[in-house]
This record gives sequence, structure tokens and C-alpha cells, in this order.
Amino acid sequence: MRIEKDMKLADVIHHDFSLIPVINRFGIQLGFGESTIEEICDKRSVNTEFFLTILNTYHDPQYFPKKHLRSFPASTLIEYLRKAHQYYLEQKIPEIKELISKLTKESDENKDTYRLALNFFEEYQDEFISHLDREENFVYPYVVELEKAIEIGKVTSGLLGQMESYSINDYEDEHDNVEEKLFDLKNLIIKYLPALENNSTSYKILLELFDLEKDLREHARIEDMILVPKVEAMEFTIKKMSR
Amino acid sequence: MSGRITIVLIEGSFLIRSGIENLLKELQGLHLVEVYDGSEKHLIEKINASKPDCIILNPEMIKDSLNSFVLSLNIEATLIGLLSNDTPSQIKSRFKYCLNINDDKHELINNFKKIIGFGKPNKNRGSENQSLSKREIIILKHITSGLTNQVVAEKLFLSVHTVMTHRKNITKKLGIKTVSGLTVYALLNKIIEIQEIDQ
Repeated sequence: MRIEKDMKLADVIHHDFSLIPVINRFGIQLGFGESTIEEICDKRSVNTEFFLTILNTYHDPQYFPKKHLRSFPASTLIEYLRKAHQYYLEQKIPEIKELISKLTKESDENKDTYRLALNFFEEYQDEFISHLDREENFVYPYVVELEKAIEIGKVTSGLLGQMESYSINDYEDEHDNVEEKLFDLKNLIIKYLPALENNSTSYKILLELFDLEKDLREHARIEDMILVPKVEAMEFTIKKMSR
Repeated sequence: MSGRITIVLIEGSFLIRSGIENLLKELQGLHLVEVYDGSEKHLIEKINASKPDCIILNPEMIKDSLNSFVLSLNIEATLIGLLSNDTPSQIKSRFKYCLNINDDKHELINNFKKIIGFGKPNKNRGSENQSLSKREIIILKHITSGLTNQVVAEKLFLSVHTVMTHRKNITKKLGIKTVSGLTVYALLNKIIEIQEIDQ
């Protein structure tokens, strides 16, 4: 399904409820009555085109935003990506960690074993945080600088130096590494941790892990499909400007 | 997800891509890792980086000649041509394996099974579902106590390449990719003790 601006947001959520955390990132909460996407965006001063691009990219893996749909500023996109990071760090990761700690408490005989899973998750958490930090403190400011330079038509030598030492192309490669640990954790829980009498906590953890995995996959796709081409285009413009 | 075969698909038509994706879902153990339409920048590099076991390629989708395409792949993947009844025979003859989009579902599936059954990546498919071999357990023990491939190789009088092959097989069998994940597995199964990690 292609999500369009005249659709009721409620209908869209019925169709794909995994979009709820995504719309939250735009400051939109449940309880939107009969309003259409356009009405909601206008009311909240959200860029409708941008909102639709994100929803569609997230909803449909086959969706590829056309060029004119990528016309919103990079800073808008960055703002969204930062919100998504905040959601992972402040909600998702603590929730999963809480559940794994609960598992440790529930297992009487195998406490040490389950503590291994917790340690493993904490290790994942550290790596994940440092990956996000790198994006927030290095990649995103770089993108914002590029956009500013184009806007005012002036390129600083610092920016050019940065462009030479780090091109956005390198960034695409960095994504896969964080995923592997999440994949391992799923298999550890499904296949290798000793069985508990009651599976409900393990099931909740797995639901959360599959959900986080999907969210991260779409997040990475938004970065690769929208951010990277945008930045490539800006890098190209700046190279021409500085000639 | 142990013993899975990874596949990269290169096809320009959305309808055919979706069809192939559906077809692959019918076959267990196959995993479509990347889908390209052929127009991507650095396509070869991307394929090389995802190291698939199989590449399904519609030869019309690549700009360069088929020869230079195949030569620039620095991976050992089974190349499967995605052809049709109208594909000229001089192109058809370039492929050792092919799928014909005009075939019906049953034929396509059988054909595909045959290809992956005889193809290189599947050589040790039978053993993938078994538990770790003694050799693999020894290697796992060394790796999870913090040794590098190089050191493990020296210790066991093996080449680094052999150690890496063992590691690949261990990952395939267990479905665990990272060293810390393997460490948890090794601790759970008493292959190593906590104290050994600290060394």
C-alpha cells in the first residue's frame, strides 16, 4: 500500500501498527480521530512530503523515494534520525535490558547462565551506543555543515579537509556490524539458553528483539536510501563550488 | 538459521524481482540478502562485500560485458542466469546454471533445487545440521579464550585460511556470528570456563 496525504492516519495505523513509534518521532501521539495525514501534519507544522517519505520507506521495503520527494532539507532528516536514536536509547534498549534482568531473576538454578546473556546484551548496548554517538557527533554535524555551506555559498577549508578524510560512502559500510550481535542474541535465546518453566519473558524478549531489528533495518535503509544520496549530491556540489 | 544459502538478485523488473523473492520463500534455507536492479553505483563492490553463495543475474541488466562482470567478482559464488525463451543462445551458453522465467513454478523450483544441490556452496550441506566436530570444538575453545586466527593457526599447525574456514563452518552450524556470542555458547556448553576468558 502506498501511503498518501489524504488518508486517515487511523486507517494507516490499522494497516501497519509498527508505524506507531515512527509517528511518535514526529511528536504525533495516538488519538487522532478522523484526521487525515495532511491535516495532522499542518496542525503540527510537520513537512508532509517528508512525513510521507518516511512512513512509506518504513512501511514498504520496495518503496524508493523519487527525487522530488527528497527535496526537504537534510537538517529535517537529521532531526528525525536523532529522534529515532533517542527512542532506541531511552525506550527500546532499557526495556529489553529490563526483560533480560527479569529472566535472570526468574531462573533459579541457572542464574549464572542467564547472567551471561545479560552481559552479552550489555556489550551490545555499549557498541550500539558508540555507533550512535559516532553518527550524532561526527556524521550528522558534517551533513549539516555541508548544507550550510551550500546555503551561504561559501566553503571553509576545514570542511574540505573533512570531505577528503571521510566521504559518506564509507558510512554505508558501517551499518552491518552492529546487527550481528542482535542476531546472535536471538539465536542464543531460541537455541542455547537452558529452558525455563515459563517462556513468557523469553517470548517478550524475542518480540522486542525482532521488533528492534526491523526498526533498525528500516532506519538504516532510510539513511542509505535518502541520507546518503542527498549527501553525495551535496558533496558533489561543494566540490564544484570550491574549484 | 544455520546452513542457509545467501543469494543476491540482479533484475530490473519489479514484477520479476517480486516473483523470484516469492519463489525463494518456498525453498527452505535460502536467504535473499540483496536485491539490485543493475543500475546501482559500485554494484560489483557491493556484491563482493555481501559475499553471497549464489548470484541470480539477468544478464541484460549489467552495463559492462558479462565477461568483465564475472571477472570482477572476487568471490566464489554460483552464478545463475535469469533467462527467458527469447534469450539468444550465445548468452544462454555462457551460463552453467540458469533459471528460465517462462518455466512454471514446479519446474523453477526443481531446477533451483538441482542447482543449489550440485553447486559449490552446498558441498557440505549434509554436515551443516550436525553438531560441532572435535576439531571445531578445539578451535572454538581457542577463539573464545581470546586468541586470534593467527595464533590459533600456529598452535594447531594449520594455515590461517583453514582456521577461518573452520570458523565459518562453526558460525554456519550454530547461527552465531560474533566472538562474544560464540563465547557465551562455549560457556553454556562448558567448552570453556569463565576463568579462561580473563587470561
